Amino acid sequence: MLLGRFMTDLQYIQVPLWYLPLLVLIPAAVAAGVVSWLGRRARTRVVPENDPDWSVPPLTQGRGQGTSLIHRWDVRCKILTMLAYSFAVASLRHLDAAALAVLFSLAVLMVARVSFHKVMLRLAALAGFMGMLLVVMPLTVPNHPGDTIVVFGSLDWLGVNVRGGILAATIAAKATAIALLMEPLLSTAPLPMTLYGLSRLGVPDMAGQMVLLSYRYLHVFTHEARRMTAGMQARGFAKKTNMDTLRALANFLGMLFVRSFERTERVFDAMQARGYKGRFPDPGQLQLRLSDIFIAGIWVAAGTGLVFFDWLKG
Amino acid sequence: MHISDGVLPLSVTLGSYAAGALVTAWSARRIHSRDLPKVAVVTSAFFVASLVHIPFGPTSAHLLLPGLAGALLGPAAFVSIGLGLLLQSILFQFGGITALGANAVMMGVPAVICGWFFQQFKGSTRLRQAIAGGLAGALGTALAAIFLAALLVTGGEDFFGVAKIALAVHVPVIVIEGVVSGFTIGFLARVKPALLQSSFQDAAGSVHD
Repeated sequence: MLLGRFMTDLQYIQVPLWYLPLLVLIPAAVAAGVVSWLGRRARTRVVPENDPDWSVPPLTQGRGQGTSLIHRWDVRCKILTMLAYSFAVASLRHLDAAALAVLFSLAVLMVARVSFHKVMLRLAALAGFMGMLLVVMPLTVPNHPGDTIVVFGSLDWLGVNVRGGILAATIAAKATAIALLMEPLLSTAPLPMTLYGLSRLGVPDMAGQMVLLSYRYLHVFTHEARRMTAGMQARGFAKKTNMDTLRALANFLGMLFVRSFERTERVFDAMQARGYKGRFPDPGQLQLRLSDIFIAGIWVAAGTGLVFFDWLKG
Repeated sequence: MHISDGVLPLSVTLGSYAAGALVTAWSARRIHSRDLPKVAVVTSAFFVASLVHIPFGPTSAHLLLPGLAGALLGPAAFVSIGLGLLLQSILFQFGGITALGANAVMMGVPAVICGWFFQQFKGSTRLRQAIAGGLAGALGTALAAIFLAALLVTGGEDFFGVAKIALAVHVPVIVIEGVVSGFTIGFLARVKPALLQSSFQDAAGSVHD
């Protein structure tokens, strides 16, 4: 082979051309199909097909009350441990360590018994970026000595670098492992409680309040935008790729901003009228028990173990 | 496009968190502390606006809006965008929680630059404001794409291909974003010009109570 003579330390695997559809195109098509099917199944559409789905998923179901181990875990411990663990997972460099992290996240999901449906939504949101990495990286990673390249028939220019594929798969596994933890982290306590925990950990009070306020008004403005969309549709507006659509959507955005800035002033006046002085009342009491620290200990051990395992592999 | 967990090297993740925290502190100091709740409410409007999908041939793109946020909010745009990205991450999993710092820097710094640009060049006629708004919108997205590519490249040579593709897919978005921002600013200039004086700016300048 011509290429092989110039780059002797690259290992080439020559497979017949008809492997291309078998190994690449069909799996890619199946994966894309499954992801879009999952996404469509998970999202309950409330608006017609050609329109954005305005529904913002609620963070907690049943006010975040449950009886699992994770639900009862002290919220401060939970935030600190899970965030530190997430950073540890994000720092992994080998596929098998990342795969172990995914298994651990799955175990946590089992324990926390959170909504399967919402976990699926999160994974579907991840799929686009991850799919892009999985397709692009095997084709664009530079060839290093010792790499294995799969060549399909005589298509020399289409060398699929296995190292690139493994790199992309490692990233996808890490992202999945962390995304799987987000539901147990966020939906096992009411949002005000989580934010209260954050403020007790030293995050400025105002930051938590801002999250709470914008989370609340997200739903209000979503509703507003949906009503405006319905009005536009009633007047016969349909989206197309042309200047008129852009102009109409720009006016829509402008109107949304005008209404929301005005509303913001009214909201703030109303808050002050009710005695708002830069604080919301605390949502409850937090008490650290021995079992909280014990769970955190298990978790830290798992994270350290993963990082150590990763480090052992060089 | 948001960066998800596990893409960037750990040092870059932590470094961009630190940089994001610094700029947030700067941005928050430029806002009257009384106005922070208002910034939060306005953030939700921008969040909803970023859910609007613009048809583009067979597919569609959603707006990133750093340019518009900068033009309307001025220095407060950084706080607002950071908050919006946190919400996108915890609600939709758009962008990972460990990459939040990187995403905030990538979208927020262009927004602040665009805000400055818009205030400098908006002039006084409506047409000129619309054109400055359109340029700010295009500039914001272009800068965000460049920041994204630069962050991806910190992962080493292996990420050059991904960075190039990320830049390429942003080109149509830059055009759409510029046109929509221009029209939106033009609309606001006709309907409510007061919004174009970057809101929440601390009148006294630096000190706040």
